[in-house]
Amino acid sequence: MSEVHAPSQTSLRGGEGTAQLNPLAEGLHDYRVADASIMVIFGATGDLSSKKLLPALYNLAKQRLLPAGFAVVGAAIDELSDDQFRKHASEAITAHSRTQPIDPTVLQAFLQAAFYIKVDFGKLDDFKALKHKLEDLDSQRHTGGNKVYYCATPPPTYETIAEQLKASGMTGNPGYDRIVVEKPFGSDLKSARELNKILQGVFHEDSVYRIDHYLGKETVQNILAFRFANSIFEPVWNTNLIDHVQITAAEEIGVEMRGGYYDRAGAMRDIIQNHALQLLALTAMEPPVAFDANAVRDEKVKVLRAIRPIVDGDVAHATVRGQYGKGWVLGERVIAYREEKNVAKGSLTETFAALRLYIDNWRWAGVPFYIRAGKRMPKRATEIRIQFKRPPHLTFGREAAQELDPNAITLRIQPEEGISLRFGAKVPSAGVKLRSVTMDFEYATSFLVEVPEAYERLLLDCMIGDPTLFTRADEVETAWTLIDPIEAAWRDDRPPLHIYDSGTWGPAAAAKLLEQDGREWHRP
Amino acid sequence: MAPPLSTVAPPELDWKGDDVTIGDVLNALNEARRKFAYAARSEGDDHPHPRNCVMTLIAVAPDEKREDFALRSAMDIATHHPSLAIVIRDQPNIRQGLIRATVSAHPVSGPFNKPAPCELVTLHVHGGAGSHLDALVDPLLVSGVPTYLWWLGTPEFGSEELHDAVKICDALVIDSSTFERPYQSFIGLANLVDRSHKRLGVADFQWVRLTPWRETIAQFFATSDRTELMRSISEVGIDYAGEGRGNRVAAALLLGWLASALDWKLQRAVAGTGGVVSAIYQADGWRTVEVAFRSVPRSHLVGGEISSVRIAGAAPSTSFKFSIERDPDRERHGEGGEFRRVHTTGGEDEAGMEIARRRAEKHRDVVTNNRESLHHTNTGDPPGESVPAQPTVLPTERRRADTSDVMLTKIDIGDARTLRHVQRVPEMSEAAMLLELLSGRARDQVYNRALGRAAELMRKL
Repeated sequence: MSEVHAPSQTSLRGGEGTAQLNPLAEGLHDYRVADASIMVIFGATGDLSSKKLLPALYNLAKQRLLPAGFAVVGAAIDELSDDQFRKHASEAITAHSRTQPIDPTVLQAFLQAAFYIKVDFGKLDDFKALKHKLEDLDSQRHTGGNKVYYCATPPPTYETIAEQLKASGMTGNPGYDRIVVEKPFGSDLKSARELNKILQGVFHEDSVYRIDHYLGKETVQNILAFRFANSIFEPVWNTNLIDHVQITAAEEIGVEMRGGYYDRAGAMRDIIQNHALQLLALTAMEPPVAFDANAVRDEKVKVLRAIRPIVDGDVAHATVRGQYGKGWVLGERVIAYREEKNVAKGSLTETFAALRLYIDNWRWAGVPFYIRAGKRMPKRATEIRIQFKRPPHLTFGREAAQELDPNAITLRIQPEEGISLRFGAKVPSAGVKLRSVTMDFEYATSFLVEVPEAYERLLLDCMIGDPTLFTRADEVETAWTLIDPIEAAWRDDRPPLHIYDSGTWGPAAAAKLLEQDGREWHRP
Repeated sequence: MAPPLSTVAPPELDWKGDDVTIGDVLNALNEARRKFAYAARSEGDDHPHPRNCVMTLIAVAPDEKREDFALRSAMDIATHHPSLAIVIRDQPNIRQGLIRATVSAHPVSGPFNKPAPCELVTLHVHGGAGSHLDALVDPLLVSGVPTYLWWLGTPEFGSEELHDAVKICDALVIDSSTFERPYQSFIGLANLVDRSHKRLGVADFQWVRLTPWRETIAQFFATSDRTELMRSISEVGIDYAGEGRGNRVAAALLLGWLASALDWKLQRAVAGTGGVVSAIYQADGWRTVEVAFRSVPRSHLVGGEISSVRIAGAAPSTSFKFSIERDPDRERHGEGGEFRRVHTTGGEDEAGMEIARRRAEKHRDVVTNNRESLHHTNTGDPPGESVPAQPTVLPTERRRADTSDVMLTKIDIGDARTLRHVQRVPEMSEAAMLLELLSGRARDQVYNRALGRAAELMRKL
């Protein structure tokens, strides 16, 4: 097992604690820096690397957040020289960087620290060659043996890569070794446990970084700030005043080029098991004692464990699954899911899922959490809506409050990131008439800074050694514990799969899920 | 860092008045707000557009050029932050006590093309009213949001008027690199911070320009294995452009930051010829830190700008040297250093034009390059002590708006090979820097401490 390293306390956040460690960091806001390291990207010529990782690293360099000595080593099956990889990286960055135009000085400096080696994941000799390359770079660039292994590869390769790293002696040396893996973390509880076991056999759990890129989004992190940096919301954040919570993760796109993967995963594994449950956990968790990795993740696990599992007969009543048929989205005619490339003609995979969950704890007793996630919805929108109860007494009479809806707080995750509060106000007139109005906060108009890409934040956190925004093994396993019984019932066609028209908010059964409780979905 | 800001077209005026009272201005402003609220409401919405305001920005401009700049900056800021901007200019040609004002409240397009109200008030005053800023603008201030006083130019430090004006503000925004009498004004600024109410913040453009230096130094010592090195610094060297104590403000501020953060105590300091400064600090109660400032002429830098920083020390386990150079290659490869071909592309005509242009540039450069020495000869002030009050030659203006630079960091630890690290400091316009200051640096205690330590050093020289 790799040597255990406590997270290196090198953050330059400018906080009080940080100032004690590095007094020069005080007042430097979010300026953070990691120990020098080498990042090995397995699958460096693939889509994830080209569209997200390399541009994110370039943007970190542009923001002067990469430490002196940092190097990136691409490792993939393709035969490329260092220069060819640099050309590939340059093209990928130019095409996909969020900041344009590309700064040639920064790009040039970044590319000088980029290297490549061909690695066939099945060949131990290739890993040994990689080891020699890393040792050379380490001595040239003073990286102290620090290495991050990023698996930008299909999930089935994670185990092979981890085992080859161990077999080639690339772990357990001076410095830190960290491995980054992408979701999905397994396809059910059993496979997730197996994967965790293999990764933990090579790396300490603190060195395994499971990326759920939703957690890198500023708006997702802001859920914690909203709840715990303000004193006025937390007292009302419970069953006494909250009627129910809705979490929506809607996409207007179909499966695009991911038909092969998606047909095996479906909305439940692709979105609900990870992104949606993470949003729920952040919305419902108790206040952590500090914003550090274990404190935050402990609270998330506690609330996930408090979710009442949906089992057996409940699945048919508390869940809805649907699949998009043809229809119109954003003014364009689109094909049905079963006509998509790499999707089985008679596929029963759900592209829409809706659940009603209850959290059995003191704070949330009796408050339903409705979650829905789907593709080919009318628009892209991810949001959390906290719907409050009506006032206990209608002071102004029923007629005056006819157009008055209950209070609600909407946390908009994407797009138009922000928060809105709905409340009642008197319509200016001689009589008394009330109407709902909203008070809006928008990220785009309230802060000057550009919102960084989630991957920039997460890559830097990984290099710094801060796993707060990464998913821990027990979180993953707890989430699968909730999902597995539902998937099992769905395999028995309980409830049946509904086909919904593309460009709608899912099957009618999803609306009924709330209607039977006397509620309705909020239209994002 | 803040992105560069766009240029926004000047606003259409809602109201203009000569010889008016502040009450008239307030009425006009309220009327403009009402009109905006109805004009900006969404289609089909019966209700006025809700008013949003995150701050009041009071800009005091000494001349028309800077008044125009302040107006444009305020409008740029309003695209991100709905705000009220009051731009005040003292106009000697206005009768004493008279106020000439304009008001506008128009939507400017921000992100997502949503209209954000941009409220602009200009006040041209002279004499008594202008000397009592607090009384002049207090009725206009938006309640419950911060008020920033942006002084374009050099405030009269020590004056009662300034002291009163800052009483109504949460922060004073200045640029210590454009002070007309840099040394005296810098000391005056330090005194003001000492004297003012505790919640007053001072936001200095100079501090934003120093941020990349601070970040790079902090970054070097940030990693866990270098904490020991930070506690063993024995030498600090700072190179700056220009001569004289007025050009040492940035260097002193940077050193003041190091000294305050690392708790170094100034023991002695002396200034020699050629811009050399030598100072001795005591660290940890016993250790000596030697500091040297050098004036190093660099053709692309203007007086006062820092060109390099060197830090060295010896910890029990190893010794280290760390240096940051700004634009290391510019002199060798930049516009001034290389020979340009006369014949470009188009034959004799173009060559003739090129020669004529170069001659014109040469003559202009003679004036430009000697502008400050001519000024010092004229005033009798030593170099760096003061600058021409109204520079007229733009190409080498004393302090540039542009901060775009390449920074080369060289690291030597023990016997290991030198590690070179190239970083780019992005370009920032002054308007973007202003926004950066207002977005979180307006009450920076680190700046206040650095300012205090820098002033302590400057007073000894």
